[in-house]
Amino acid sequence: MAETPSVTLYHWEPNANSGKPMLTLFEKGVAFDSHYLDLLNFDQHKPDYLAINPLGTIPAMTHGDLVLTESTAIMEYVDEAFPGPRLMPDSLVDAWRVRWWMKFMDQWLAPSFSMIGWSVFVGPSVRSRDPAELDAAIERIPLPERRIAWRKAISGAFSAEEMAESQRRVAVGIGLLEQALGQREWLASDSYSLADINGFNLAYALPLSQPHLSNDELTPNIMRWLRAIYARPATKSCWALGRTDMARRVTILEGEPA
Amino acid sequence: MTITLYHGEPNGPSLTVLAALFEKGADASLERIDLAAGERHGAHVPHAMEVNHSIEGEGPVLVVDGIPMADSVFLACYLDDVGPGPALRPSEPYDRWRMMTWCRYIVERVAPAAAYLGVAANPPARVPQGVASVDLAERWSDDVAGKIDDARRADSRDKIVQAVERIERELSDGRDWLIDAFSIADLESYAWLAGMTELVPEAFADHPRTAAWLARVKARPAVTRALAMATSAAPERVWAPGPEINRWG
Repeated sequence: MAETPSVTLYHWEPNANSGKPMLTLFEKGVAFDSHYLDLLNFDQHKPDYLAINPLGTIPAMTHGDLVLTESTAIMEYVDEAFPGPRLMPDSLVDAWRVRWWMKFMDQWLAPSFSMIGWSVFVGPSVRSRDPAELDAAIERIPLPERRIAWRKAISGAFSAEEMAESQRRVAVGIGLLEQALGQREWLASDSYSLADINGFNLAYALPLSQPHLSNDELTPNIMRWLRAIYARPATKSCWALGRTDMARRVTILEGEPA
Repeated sequence: MTITLYHGEPNGPSLTVLAALFEKGADASLERIDLAAGERHGAHVPHAMEVNHSIEGEGPVLVVDGIPMADSVFLACYLDDVGPGPALRPSEPYDRWRMMTWCRYIVERVAPAAAYLGVAANPPARVPQGVASVDLAERWSDDVAGKIDDARRADSRDKIVQAVERIERELSDGRDWLIDAFSIADLESYAWLAGMTELVPEAFADHPRTAAWLARVKARPAVTRALAMATSAAPERVWAPGPEINRWG
């Protein structure tokens, strides 16, 4: 009998882009080797990892001899290549809506979240290190746009205008999520899908980071949705792979609305 | 099932979806709209949040049983699943991943550059009423005012140069199409690049495989049929505000 090719996922914390394929693998029940990379230690730009993914972006997944990058495309691959519950809806219009939401989140909403996140968390976390060492670490980043992003995050160079635009988009995005989740149980369809996995990894911290915009009174549907995903066994297994406070318990998502 | 496609001139995302529809032989009524005049925002076209906030910018709208849908690559995936014609996506999951990541590259890096250059050369006359997305409305205002940033223009030209180099590399093993068999990746790439041969000619010079690939895509009956629907002499010169250039650079 042919041996089943093994799966290895190279990831950081179980959130944002890393969390998307992690949670998908757990939902599908696919066994995989977890290879944790410390983003704040620039593990993703070290030779060992560049040998796997020369672009130095996280996450990456290997399946036998195949190497896959781009978190959302990996999610679709995992759903199609492995047995387990289908994470794309049967309805073709719903499947379109899953992809629409993933693109909207990946390319419009998430960059605004991450600009805020990098500015308040990633930048300050690494800023205190030796400047020469940081500079050398940034020079090793293969993609020019990631070099610019790291420099901006470390120097705190996001302009007030850029930050205000990001905050505007976060507010608009919250409104659209609430609207969509008021129309159906899950984000893109009546069944749990990749859009929900993608969205949870983007939005689970909303009630903590944007409490004035997302709470039980203003966005009851977002809160219902986050609580439902937070409670899933796959989410718990996935979060067990976190090593920092980012995946600590979110008590506001445990239990019923206040 | 009732399908209506509201489409602009056969260029950019409208070309992708028209050609996908014809490749698949899906049954749909066609409604022409002037995307460059902002007709998508008028009362004639059905509205939905996913159309108003599509980050593709001005693109076609596919209405299926009353549900308006946007984003050319995903509309083409939908048509691939409903139409009887030959598949426009590979069947193996890994090859499908290759196609989706290629399309993501085109949509995220190449389309914004092409739209930026295309609109700069062919600016729209006026800002339409009723643009729901604040950032799309801002792109309309900038484009009508001819507000062109030199750094962005230079970067956009670079993105076209890089895209052609990447296509040339991709085809270096003698393949006819970007992902093995003809696919949505060929349509989407062609649709955004066809108008660039005139605007960034240096990108295409000395890239014979890309030139031959462009000719192959153009010669497909479905693409020929889509291009024949043009109401202007040169549809590749008709542009409307497209996706924004990535805010992270």
